[in-house]
Parts: sequence; C-alpha cells; structure tokens
Amino acid sequence: MPGEYTLAALAASVAVVGLELVLFRTGLFREARYWVTVAIVFGFQLPVDGWLTHRSAPVVSYNEAETSGLRFPADIPVEDFAFGFALVTLTLLLWRRQQLRAWRAREAPAGNGARVGCRPPGAGHA
Amino acid sequence: MIDSARYLLILAACAAVTLPLEFGLGARVYRRPRTLAAVLLPVVAMFAAWDVVATARGHWWFDDRYVLGVRLLGLPIEEWLFFVVVPVSALLTFEALGQSARRLARARVSDRRSTVGDRHAR
Repeated sequence: MPGEYTLAALAASVAVVGLELVLFRTGLFREARYWVTVAIVFGFQLPVDGWLTHRSAPVVSYNEAETSGLRFPADIPVEDFAFGFALVTLTLLLWRRQQLRAWRAREAPAGNGARVGCRPPGAGHA
Repeated sequence: MIDSARYLLILAACAAVTLPLEFGLGARVYRRPRTLAAVLLPVVAMFAAWDVVATARGHWWFDDRYVLGVRLLGLPIEEWLFFVVVPVSALLTFEALGQSARRLARARVSDRRSTVGDRHAR
C-alpha cells in the first residue's frame, strides 16, 4: 500500500521533471553526462543508504504504513531512490541554469547572440 | 567506532571520496562558492522542509545512538549536512564528467593537428 512517503517521493520527482520541461528548459535531460551522473549517484546510494537503513541497526527507521513496504536492494525503501533522484536532479537543474545565465550575460552585451554555432559550453548536442 | 558519530562518518566518507574530483579531475564546484550557495540554498530549504514535515508526521525517525544529538527543527545536524554533501557530490560528478569529455575532445583535436604537422614536416 502506498503511504504518504510514497506519494511525496513520486510527486517530488514529477515536480522536478516538470520544472525543467515547463520552466527552466536547460536541456539537461538531453545531456548524456546527466544520466551518467544519476547512474553513478544511484551506485553510491546503495552502500550509503544501505548502511543508513539496514534493519539490524538503522540510523533511519521508517513507518511502514507510510511507505509501499518494498525495500530493495537490502533494506532500502524504494521511495528513497525517488527522493534521491529529485534531490540530485533539482541540484543539477539549478546549477545548469546558473551556468547558462552566466554564459548569456557574458555573450549578450557583445551582440554575438546570432553567431553561427554559438552554444553555451557543455550544452547538449541533441 | 564511536556509535554517535556513525551518520557523520558516512557523510564524511562521501565528501572524502568525491574530493579528488575537484582537486585532480578538474571539476570546479567548491571553487565557485557563490554559484554553489545560490544552488544549495533552495535545495536545502525545500528538502529540509519536506524532511521536517515527514519527521514530525512520523514517516521516519533517527536513532539517537547513531547521531551526535544536536538537532535543528527536529532534524539531527547530520541530516542538514546530508542536503549539502549529497548535492555537492552529484555536482562534482557532473562537472568531472564534463571536464573529461572536454579534455578528450581537446586531445583529439591536438592529435589531428600533430598528424597534419608531421605530414608538412616531411
């Protein structure tokens, strides 16, 4: 049964994706290194979160009524992965937006906006 | 291991493991403190707010044995640090990947140039 944490984790993930698609439009989701970063973060989440949540001596304990009850791998509640995804994605979105803003501020006064092939450093190629 | 330092040590390990990305692999995250602060402020505010509400509603709780015991708005100080350490680790990974890609592209260009140069020299 999904609990409040399940719903909140899903809502946060959807909200962060929506923020990019509707408001920010940084192009982050078209950058391969974003997806590689997410994969690496999930990789490190296994030992870190696994250590924090393992039932024999948990640093953090969960009210099972507020989760789906699914704990995988080890004793990690699956909701934690959505929580992590939302946290890391929001961070990278804000970072990318700051970089693009700084880049535009540098380029715009020079009137170089229309230069062919003009693209923010590190922007996606898609 | 001192039990009460467990959560803090886990965070310290995360910070230590990702530190070489800044000083070695060319990621510039700690060296952009103003940008970093502008990014972290809303992230910490939003996720800590979620955490404060969730902890108050009993979604999850922290074992007093494994935290230092300093609390702010009901959250252990370690939990606040978590919202700094994890985003910074992700940014370091993202920036190091960008640096590696740029270095690879530059190496290819200079490789091509030196090949052309060799031909001219002959």
